This record gives sequence, C-alpha cells and structure tokens, in this order.
Amino acid sequence: MRPAATRLAAAPRIQSSFVAAPKSLVFQALRCYSSAGGLEKTEVYERIKQILTGFDKVTDPTKITETSHFANDLGLDSLDTVEVVMAIEEEFSVEIPDKDADTIHSIDKAVEYITSQPGAN
Amino acid sequence: MRLSGLQKEVLSLYRQCLRECRKKPDTARQHFKSFARNEFDKNMGIEKRDFAAVEFLLRKGRRQLEMYSSPGVKNIH
Repeated sequence: MRPAATRLAAAPRIQSSFVAAPKSLVFQALRCYSSAGGLEKTEVYERIKQILTGFDKVTDPTKITETSHFANDLGLDSLDTVEVVMAIEEEFSVEIPDKDADTIHSIDKAVEYITSQPGAN
Repeated sequence: MRLSGLQKEVLSLYRQCLRECRKKPDTARQHFKSFARNEFDKNMGIEKRDFAAVEFLLRKGRRQLEMYSSPGVKNIH
C-alpha cells in the first residue's frame, strides 16, 4: 500500500493496478456517506411513544400501541392532534405540510409517514 | 373523522401559531403555546356550522397571530 501511494504521488498519471487500492477507498467513503438510510419502524414507534407518554393530555398511557388512534383511543381532540403532529415534526426534524398533517390521525399513520421521509432523523 | 374545509382552516391556523411559537425565546415559548391554546379553547363551544362566527374568529385569529409574530414581542403573560 505504502509504495503504491508514494509512487502515485510522484507520478499521478500512472496507469497501474496499484491505482485500484486508493480508488476503492474513495468509493467506500462515498458509500458510507449515502448509506445513512431510512429509519426503522420500531425505532420511530418508540420515539413517538415517548412523545405521547410525555404528553399530559393522554390520560391513559397504557393505551399507546402501534395502532392507537389519537382521538378514539387516546382521547385527544383535534387541537391536541395538531400538537402531537408538530411534536413529531420537531422530534424527527422534518416539516410536515398541512395536507399531509391532516391525514395523520393515528400512530401507525405517523410511523408510516416518518419512515417514508428520506430527510427524517 | 372527516373535517370540513373550514375546520381544516382552523387547524391550519393553530399549526401556524405553533410554528410561530418556535421562533420565540426558549423561556417564553411555553407561554405563547398556552396562550394560543387558550384562545382556541375559548371558542371551543362554537357550533361548527356557524360559518359566519367561525370565519370571523379565523380573521380575528390571523390578525392576532400577525401581531404576536412580531420579533418585538418576546414574552406574553
């Protein structure tokens, strides 16, 4: 590796198989960069569950499950739901536009939305 | 639950209010949130088909939001 690197530095235009080593290193570095990937469903659910557990309007935290409906199961009104969706926005650093936010009424919908967002983290 | 266009506008206004709250100083943010929530709660009893009343309150709310959005307003009690 070492002689290859020095030779490469001395003669940058060299066309030998030695070039392959540093090239593949560069390639790997690039791959690491882009491999951040989407979030796991279970992780998203756990983080949303945390938000809801800390939300004082949720009267019965034992009712928080993967499929809980904000209004029907957790007893939240429409303004509370807006607050929850905004909290989810902050937690995953995404901006949810109004038309999407209006469709998120349950935990599974929220999980589905967040996992479909490439920018969520 | 299906929401009417007007109901969506109300929720959208509330969302805008919460977004503006984020721009306020950390220590005052909760005050702004509670204030906004309280303003909406005051009119919780309005009949959803009373379009004139809801529209009037929407206009009033938007004006109020504009006022409180000013960076000069740093806290609310």
